[in-house]
Amino acid sequence: MKNNKRGHRGFIHEVVKNRYLYLLALPGMLFLLVFAYTPMLGHLLAFQNYRLSDGLFGSQWVGWRNFEFFFSTNDWLRVTWNTVFLNGLFLVFGLGTAVVLAVLLNEVAVKWFKKTAQSFVFLPYFISWLVVSMMVQTMFSSSEGMVNQALAGLGFKGVDWYLTPEVWPYILTFVYVWKIAGYNSIIFLASITGISSEYYESAKLEGASRFQQILYITLPLLRPIIIIMLLLGIGRIFYGDFGMIYALIGDVGVLFPTTDVIDTYAYRALRQMGNFSMSSAIVLYQSFMGLIAVTLFNWLARRIDPDSRLF
Amino acid sequence: MRERLFLGFVYVLLSGFALICFVPFWIVLVNSFANETLIQTSGYQLFPTSFSLNAYKMLLSGDQVFRSYGVTLFVTLTGTVLGVIITASYAYVLSHPKVKYRHILSFLTFFTMLFGAGIVGFYILISNWLSLKDSLWALVLPYLLNPFYAFILVSYFRSLPYELNEAATVDGANDIRIFFRVIWPISLPVIATVALFYALQYWNDWYLSLLFIDNYKLHPLQMMIRQLMSNLNAMSYVGGSRTEYNIIVPTYGMQLAIVCITIGPIVFVYPFVQKYFIKGMTLGSVKG
Repeated sequence: MKNNKRGHRGFIHEVVKNRYLYLLALPGMLFLLVFAYTPMLGHLLAFQNYRLSDGLFGSQWVGWRNFEFFFSTNDWLRVTWNTVFLNGLFLVFGLGTAVVLAVLLNEVAVKWFKKTAQSFVFLPYFISWLVVSMMVQTMFSSSEGMVNQALAGLGFKGVDWYLTPEVWPYILTFVYVWKIAGYNSIIFLASITGISSEYYESAKLEGASRFQQILYITLPLLRPIIIIMLLLGIGRIFYGDFGMIYALIGDVGVLFPTTDVIDTYAYRALRQMGNFSMSSAIVLYQSFMGLIAVTLFNWLARRIDPDSRLF
Repeated sequence: MRERLFLGFVYVLLSGFALICFVPFWIVLVNSFANETLIQTSGYQLFPTSFSLNAYKMLLSGDQVFRSYGVTLFVTLTGTVLGVIITASYAYVLSHPKVKYRHILSFLTFFTMLFGAGIVGFYILISNWLSLKDSLWALVLPYLLNPFYAFILVSYFRSLPYELNEAATVDGANDIRIFFRVIWPISLPVIATVALFYALQYWNDWYLSLLFIDNYKLHPLQMMIRQLMSNLNAMSYVGGSRTEYNIIVPTYGMQLAIVCITIGPIVFVYPFVQKYFIKGMTLGSVKG
């Protein structure tokens, strides 16, 4: 009781003493309260038969029924698999390409070439996924697309890409690498620049070729940051990139078998079927899986490199 | 000899990758000036054989593109200014050693990166509880504080010498004054970087307008792209009241033209601001 009182006074004392600082933080705190914490109440809908007219506190509670419904068909397996598989592809090829790019850029001694090349590979990061989607259409549209024109020029028959779900994981991966690799390469390039030049000088004295220097100095020294980026990606492996997938695939149902991820599935449940509770159950399932993934990430990170753990 | 071969290989690979990154931009640009019938009959061209301003003329003859430009500009400017002020002052408090609860605040900020609210709660918050449906504020408010950018700023503010602060305190200035008069000016390069990240995010966003904007008069440019890519009745959407129905509509051309109009400003300022982004990312990867 006594302690409690003192703690209370301590709180007021602290806030009054640093009132200007807390005032400075007030807009940010309000933002987090309203836009980050309040909507977490939405997770409650997963256990309700939510109706807009009844509101959050007037709707009927139904226990686990929404989850039973979600897990009763194979949809959950499909969207979970697609999310993990696509993210896995993005992660491996995205990081791999970024590392290669960074190493290559680092080899270039001609300044203008390095700058120009970097500007070009960084450029796609700056446009929205909708713009990318338009560019993808100029490539893969079945009648006007460049890819089918090239195939025809080589004497092959064109493919109806937007009717062929099997190829899309690879198209999406290519597009993802195209957009993100240049951006990620900057992080790797920054850490290559941080490597002491003594390593390279002594290697040169020993007669090591440039390729050997990359293999035995640059890559091993990049290992920690590669692992961190990889683990960060694993921590987010259950979160699909809604902005990307929905912009590129949209409502083309034919492609859903290979491209529908948890996020697009939840979006359609919400906006097209108007099933708030169902969508909420899917999202809660995703958050739960996400939390497991992050915990796993943290455990792995602590074992591999104690400095890179999150908590 | 071997080394030169290797170096040649490096240059070829890099040029190839740079070219792949550039070609889609090129195709969108040159085909937006191509004749509509050329695209319809022989598809998109690497080097179109015809030239036409039809798509742009058609696009600019209606009201929608100007309305959408206005929306995008308003959202980007308002969002960036408010976002930077809120994020920077919040980050300053998180970094201030005098603030006893800064660790709790940091954790509460970080936690939102681990465990999100999800689309449903967010949707109900904006559309029902705040009644912001079909309001431009629905496009501004949700992105005002990005925890990741806040932590970039926190790690920067921490690196500043504390004596700066003490000298100003002795002069009798309060913390708000100190922040805006002393800390803000010397942090300008980092704050500019964060501002650019915000501006890019607002300019390119279409998620919020997809969820909350049904009234086409409030569509930002990104939504206009989406509409033109899917809307069969593009002409009445673009033209508003001045719609004519007896002409061939350059559907493909207008899709490409609106893309060019949307990314034009970005590509134009890109060479000048690129270095700020690189700096911001290098700062961010140092670990916040």
